[in-house]
Amino acid sequence: MNELKTTFSQGSVIARLLGYLILLAVSAVGVWAIFGTLRDGHIEATTTQNVPWGLWVALYIFFLGLSAGSFLLSTLVYVFGIKKLEPAGPLALLQALGCLVLGGMLILLDLGHPARMYKIITSMNPTSVMAWMGFFYNIYIVVVLVEIYFALRPQLVLKAQAGGSSAWWYRLLALGSKRLDPASLARDKKWLMALGILGIPIAITVHGGVGSIFAVAKARPNWFGGLFPIIFLISALASGGALLALLTAVFSRLPKEAKRGVVRTIMRLTVGILAFDLLLMCSEIMVTYYGNIPHEVAGWNFAMFGPSWWVFWLIQLAVGAAIPILIVINPKTGRSAGWLGLAGLLVVVGIIGARWNLVVPPQLTPTFDALPNAYHHARFALGYVPSVHEFLVGLGVVALGLWAFLLLRKLLPLDEAELAGVENHHV
Amino acid sequence: MDMTRRGFLKGAGVAVAAATATALPGCLQEASAGNGNRRWGMVIDLKRCIACKACGAACRLENKTPPGVAYGVFLDEEKGQFPHAYRLSFFRPCMQCEESSCAKVCPTGATSHRKDGIVGVDYEKCIGCRYCIAACPYGARSFDYGHNYIEAANNPYNAIPSSEYGAEYGLRSKGRSPIGNVRKCTFCLHLQDEKGEYREPTACSRTCMGKAIHFGDLKDPEAKCLVHGEKMQELLARRGHYRLKEELGNEPSVYYLPA
Repeated sequence: MNELKTTFSQGSVIARLLGYLILLAVSAVGVWAIFGTLRDGHIEATTTQNVPWGLWVALYIFFLGLSAGSFLLSTLVYVFGIKKLEPAGPLALLQALGCLVLGGMLILLDLGHPARMYKIITSMNPTSVMAWMGFFYNIYIVVVLVEIYFALRPQLVLKAQAGGSSAWWYRLLALGSKRLDPASLARDKKWLMALGILGIPIAITVHGGVGSIFAVAKARPNWFGGLFPIIFLISALASGGALLALLTAVFSRLPKEAKRGVVRTIMRLTVGILAFDLLLMCSEIMVTYYGNIPHEVAGWNFAMFGPSWWVFWLIQLAVGAAIPILIVINPKTGRSAGWLGLAGLLVVVGIIGARWNLVVPPQLTPTFDALPNAYHHARFALGYVPSVHEFLVGLGVVALGLWAFLLLRKLLPLDEAELAGVENHHV
Repeated sequence: MDMTRRGFLKGAGVAVAAATATALPGCLQEASAGNGNRRWGMVIDLKRCIACKACGAACRLENKTPPGVAYGVFLDEEKGQFPHAYRLSFFRPCMQCEESSCAKVCPTGATSHRKDGIVGVDYEKCIGCRYCIAACPYGARSFDYGHNYIEAANNPYNAIPSSEYGAEYGLRSKGRSPIGNVRKCTFCLHLQDEKGEYREPTACSRTCMGKAIHFGDLKDPEAKCLVHGEKMQELLARRGHYRLKEELGNEPSVYYLPA
């Protein structure tokens, strides 16, 4: 085992403390907003009868995309045996689970009656895409959980055997497993492969299913179509890869060389997928404008030249695509884990913009042009700008996710699993 | 260790099986209520419409919808440029589509078709996901955000119950249905008697002073408009008629006679 101890200078301790303080403040405000939603419902949200799905739904599909993308990346390790990525496998799985839970929180808050969410299963309507998505969502959580167990089991057993005051915790997580012989390790691998193979279609069904929720709505011409779920999946892969690169670059305690190798492989893959995502979007835009059907053109006009034009041009295209692609292909920055991590962060931010543009602008054209004038109330007005409350809830969920990640890094032998991946790679 | 893992997997399997088993009865829902010999619909004669918008007002009074929730609305639009300007206006209740988008996408089956063609919402089943609003091509659904005309808790207006769905949800209170639910026009379902016949026609058709809104059964070829007595099918046969966004294939039960 390599030496894991890292020394921190005075400055970095202060920076770390400051970071925790900011995170604490943000999460306090966010949790307050979340409780506000649970208490008062949606009265503080600015969604309307024309735009029923707003920021929370955009963030929900963002998190679900991150989850599906991370999971599919993990199968590169556990199913397709790409050794280069092995150190990132456990983190990718944990990311898949974490983002799934955060997405679930957001969609729970988005419901008018969160307490009845279980009815999606107990009173399932078989013709509803959303119901099937919910059904597979649950199966997907189980697959990811079990896979995390097998990915971390050897390290959990090692930690449990190492003794100390926290040994009971690792024994509990290992579910009593004690074996470390080659046969048991081989069986872990087998399980991981089997679950990965099972998980690929499930992850595609869950996230493609979310895309299909929108794609089957013929009332909204910019959603309706067969390309929509595919765009969901491709952006999911890009965002999953980008987050994995970011977290690895920031938190990984791998030796410098190994870390750079992992981050670089992930980011190169991510940028390639991102380019394909842009191609799909270009196709959508060109066909729409050439076809010139007024309501469809209006949807893209809203996205590109409407009130949130900057989300499309600055966040989705400049920050989310152009800059990270340049960072990765530039030979200088493309070799530095720090720069590549930054590129990952930019892609993740850009995908938030992409999710916004997938969800909101297609709804901005009302089903009848005269509808906003037919009923004089803010809930029928044209357009949608999220309220401060909605932003705070979103921030709160992201902050809770960060806390969960920081906590899990303490509670799970992630660093050890990562190192084990490197050792396997070099054997 | 072996036993633990096997036991765990077995447990997980049982859990999934149990979830599937509880889901099944939901899939096989019992036949819904309503008189199967009727198919309630509207024929709206735009030549008789004077765009007074009383239909929308009557709807709001009858169903006592809160602000921000609209069942029937009057759409009024000026189109074109002088000298080719014209006015396009019509009343839009829920179309009560035969192939409705809303009931198809509803994850819990809260929205469903009655045997008489009316699309209703089970407020107890509705989780408030608003998928139906996103999917409805006619914008005929509203989410109840919880607004009130008068916010004071015990003001007299808020003490008058709405009679929709048998007045079960008459008085709204925070956190309880129908707040947080999606609501829609039900052709004034509460005006039906036990046999599924109307004691009196829907508020919009009753109130229309130009006698433009005809309401009645579309199934029986001899059925007459419940308000004005014309034969529904004759109204449709005598002049050209159309339905809104017919190309989407939703098969609405509301027909328009051109202006």
